[in-house]
Amino acid sequence: MNRLYPSRHIAEFRRIFQDPVLFIGLVLVVIFVLIAILSPIYAMVDESRTPDGQELFDRYLNSPVYRTIIVNTLRMGLIVAALGTALGFLLAYVQVKVDVPFKRLIHIVALIPIISPPFALATAVLILFGRNGMITQGWFGVRYDIYGLDGLSLVLTLSYFTVAYMNLKGMLQALDPALDEAATNLGASKWRIFRTVTVPMLIPGIAGSFLLLFVEAIADLGNPLVMGGNYEVLSTRIYVSIVGLYNTTAAAVLSVILLVPSLLVFIVQRYWISRTSVVSITGKPSGVSQQIRHPLVRWPLFAVVMFVVLFILLIYGTIFAGAFTKILNVNNELTLDHFDFVINGYGSEAMKDTTQLAAIATPLAGLLGMIIAFLVARKTFLGRNALDFATMLGIAVPGTILGIGYLLVFNQPNEITLPLVGTIEIIPKLTGGRAIFGGAGAIVLVYVVRSVPAALRSGVAALSQIDPAIEEASISLGADNFRTFMRITLPLIRPAFLSGLIYAFARSMTTISAIIFLTTPRTKIMTHQILNEVENGRYGNAFAYCVILIAIVLVAIGVLSIAVGTTSGAERTMEGGA
Amino acid sequence: MVSSQAGSLVLENISKTFPQRDGQGEVRAVDDVSLTINEGEFVTLLGPSGCGKTTTLRLISGFELPTAGRILLDGKDISNRPPNKRDMAMVFQSYALFPHMSVSKNVAYGLRIQRVPGRELRERVERVLDLMGLRGLGERRPNELSGGQQQRVALARSLVVEPRVLLFDEPLSNLDAKLRVQMRSEIRNIQRRLNITSVYVTHDQVEAMALSDRIVVMNQGKIEQIGSPEEIYRRPTTRFVADFIGRANFLEARIERVDGGEAEVELLGQRVRVPVTFAVSAGDHLTAVLRPEALSLREDATLAQGAVEQAMYLGSSTDYVVRVGEMVLIVVETDPSAHVVFREGQTVGVTFEPSTVHLLPPG
Repeated sequence: MNRLYPSRHIAEFRRIFQDPVLFIGLVLVVIFVLIAILSPIYAMVDESRTPDGQELFDRYLNSPVYRTIIVNTLRMGLIVAALGTALGFLLAYVQVKVDVPFKRLIHIVALIPIISPPFALATAVLILFGRNGMITQGWFGVRYDIYGLDGLSLVLTLSYFTVAYMNLKGMLQALDPALDEAATNLGASKWRIFRTVTVPMLIPGIAGSFLLLFVEAIADLGNPLVMGGNYEVLSTRIYVSIVGLYNTTAAAVLSVILLVPSLLVFIVQRYWISRTSVVSITGKPSGVSQQIRHPLVRWPLFAVVMFVVLFILLIYGTIFAGAFTKILNVNNELTLDHFDFVINGYGSEAMKDTTQLAAIATPLAGLLGMIIAFLVARKTFLGRNALDFATMLGIAVPGTILGIGYLLVFNQPNEITLPLVGTIEIIPKLTGGRAIFGGAGAIVLVYVVRSVPAALRSGVAALSQIDPAIEEASISLGADNFRTFMRITLPLIRPAFLSGLIYAFARSMTTISAIIFLTTPRTKIMTHQILNEVENGRYGNAFAYCVILIAIVLVAIGVLSIAVGTTSGAERTMEGGA
Repeated sequence: MVSSQAGSLVLENISKTFPQRDGQGEVRAVDDVSLTINEGEFVTLLGPSGCGKTTTLRLISGFELPTAGRILLDGKDISNRPPNKRDMAMVFQSYALFPHMSVSKNVAYGLRIQRVPGRELRERVERVLDLMGLRGLGERRPNELSGGQQQRVALARSLVVEPRVLLFDEPLSNLDAKLRVQMRSEIRNIQRRLNITSVYVTHDQVEAMALSDRIVVMNQGKIEQIGSPEEIYRRPTTRFVADFIGRANFLEARIERVDGGEAEVELLGQRVRVPVTFAVSAGDHLTAVLRPEALSLREDATLAQGAVEQAMYLGSSTDYVVRVGEMVLIVVETDPSAHVVFREGQTVGVTFEPSTVHLLPPG
C-alpha cells in the first residue's frame, strides 16, 4: 500500500494549478475518462446487480446451456491465443532473424489485418472453404462444414495474429545482438541460442501476446456471428439478448461474466508481465544481428511462411474478386453493380457517415492519447496510475460491454437537480434515433474511447525514448508546459502521434462490436451494413463495402502521413546529445 | 538561520524527501541545507553520487519542490514559483539540445519566449554564437555537431537569455578529458566576464577547484563544508572532506601542549606546532591530515623508518605506499631533483613539511 503524503500531493497539485493550460488539460482528460469510459462500465455492472440481474446470474451459472457457452468462449480464446501467438512469433522470428527473400511482402501481409473490416475474412473463408466452398467442394469435392470452432479459430487467428507479430518483432529487434555473440563465443549452436537465449528473453512478450489475443478473441463479435454456426459464445449471446430479446439486464449479466476473464487478463498483463520483462530497450542496438543462413533452417521456414502469406493473400484476393463478380463461385460474370450499390445507392449514406465520424474521432483520439501520455510519463500527481489504467480500460473491456454501457447511461439525458437552480441537463441524450446528432455523438465517443489506449501506449513508448532534460531545457528557458508540449514534445513524438492517428482511423472504420447497438436509422455505419448484407447472403455487396472501406483507410493513411509528417526531424539522435 | 538580505540566492533550511521505491518510508535526499550565494559568485556543489547535489540544483531550478524550507532570490521567496518563471537557465549533462531545431533556433528559443523583436533577436543570437566560437554553425542540426560544439550550443542557449542565475548540471562529464579541461577554462572566463551568478554541480573535485569561488562539499544530503578551494583542500573540517578532496593520510595525533592558537603534537617522530581554531587541551587525541605531496622519502636513518610496499613511477611524480610501523602512508614525490626511485621492499626515512599539517576538529 502506498502511504499518502498529503503535503507533497498538495504541492504537486499546486504546481499543476499554477499552469492554467496544464490544469484545464488534466481536468478535461479526467472528465473524458469518467464520462466516456468509467460511467458506462459502471452502469453495466450496476445493472447486473439488480434483483433481476442476481436471479439471472444464478440461472446462467447453473444452467448447462450457459455453462457450455462459457466453456466455448474460453476454449475459443485459448485456441486463438495459442495459434495466433505461434503464427505471430513465426513471422516475427523469420522477419528479424532469418535470411529469407520477400521480407517486405511478409511484413505488409502481416499488417493487412489491421485495416481489414470485420466479416471480410470470415465471409471470404466461407466462400473458399464452406459447405459449397470453391476449394473444399470445388477442388477436393468434400462438403466440409467450416461453421463452428474450426472456422472461428482460423478466422480469429488470421484477424488477430498481427498483435503478436508486432509485439514480438519489436522485442526481437530490441534484443542486444551482443547476447547472441556472447553465446556463440561460449560455443553455443544457433539452436541452443534459440532455446536458451532468444525464447527465454521473449517469454514476457510471448505471454503478453497470448493474453492480448485471448482477450481480443473472446470479445470478438463479428466473426462468431458469421462463422459460429451452432458454436455459441458469450458475445453472440449478448448480441441476441439486446437485438433479439431487448433484455438489457440479461445482456448486462452476460457481459459481467465476459468482463471477468477480460479484466483478469488485463490486470495480469499490466502488473505481472510488464514487470518481468528482461528485454531492455535502449534504442541503441549495439550491433547488427547475425541472420540465420543455414539452408535446412532457412528454406523450410521460408516455405511455411510463404504458405501463410499466400493463404492470406488468397483470402483477400477472394474479397476483391467477390466485389467485382455477380456471385462469386456461382456466376463469375464481372460487374460493378456492388460498387454502384455502395457508392451511389443505399450504401452511400453509411460510407459518408462512417468516414465523417471516424475523421472527427481520429484527431481527438490522437491528441487525447498524446496529452494523457505526456501527463502520465512526465508529470507527477496523485492518481497518475489510475488515469493510465482507466484509459486502458477503453480497449481492455470487450466492445459489446462498452456499447451496452452507453445504452444504459446515455439513452436518456443526464441531469442533476440543484437547489434553487432547478434541474440542469449536463449531458443530453446521446444514443438512439432521437438523440442529438442522430446518435452520432455516442458513436464518435466510442470511436475515441477505443482508439485512445493505443495512442497512449505509443505516446508513452516514444516519450520514454526522449531525454526528459530536453523538455526541462525548454521550461528552464522560460516556456510554459503548453508551449513546451506544442513546440518540443509533440514534434519529437510525431511518429508516435501519426501511428496513433492511423490506428484510430483504421480502428474506428473497422469496429463493430462497440457500435453495433448504437447505430440508428439516422446514423448508418459501414460495418453494421456489411453485417446486414452478409446475413442476407448478399456477399457481393459486403465485399464491395469491404474494398471501399479498405480504400478509404489507405487514402486516409496517405493523407495523415502527409499532413502530420512521418519524421520528427531528429531521426539521427533523440537525446539532444551525442 | 541565514539572513535573507545578504546574497542574491539564498537556501533556507531546505529539505527534500522522496518516497522509497516500494512505497514504504522515505529517502531524505537533501537534509536541512542552508546556503547563501552572492551576486556574481561561482559556487560548486561537490560530492559523491547520491549526496544530494543534483537534487539541490533541481530544487533551485524549480524542477523539484522542497519538502521544507525556503528559496529566496534577491530577497523574494521563489519556493513555489514554477521553473519557467525563475529567471534561471540550466545547462544539462546531456546538453538537452532540441534535436529537431537548428543551432540558431535552439539558441533563439528562450528569446522568442521573451518576445524579443526580430532584429535584436538575430543580433543577440549572432553575438552569443561568436562568443562561443560557433560562428557559421547556426544552420546545423545538433546531431551534426561534435560533442564539444554541442556543449557550446547548450551554454550559448542559456547565456543568451541573460538569466539571473546560471545552473550547471555536470555539463562536462560527457566530454573527453582534454576537451573537458579546455571547456572548463572557457566556462570560467565567460562567467567572470559576464559576472553571472552560477551554481555548478559536479563530482569531479579537480573541476570544482578549477572553476569555483566557493565549493560546497555535500555528503548524504547534508553540507559537510563550505569554503574556497584552498580552504577546502588545506583546512578540511571533516575526515570525509579531507578524503574526498584529493588524497590524504590520516595520522593519530596526541596533543602534547596547547599554547595560544597553536597545539603541539608529535608526528612521525617530529614535534610540530599546528594552528587550531577550536578548543583543545593537552592529552586529547585528534586526527592529523597530511597530504601525500607534503611527505617525502630520504635515505636518512635519523628519520622515522618505513618499508616501501609499492612504488609507481608516473612521470611527473612517483607514488609510494610506505608502511611505518602500523601505519600505511601514501607519499607522492614530485621533487624533480629527487632522481632516485626507491624500490619496493627498500627501507627509507619518512619526513614531511610541518607547515602543511592540519588537525581535524574532534567528533
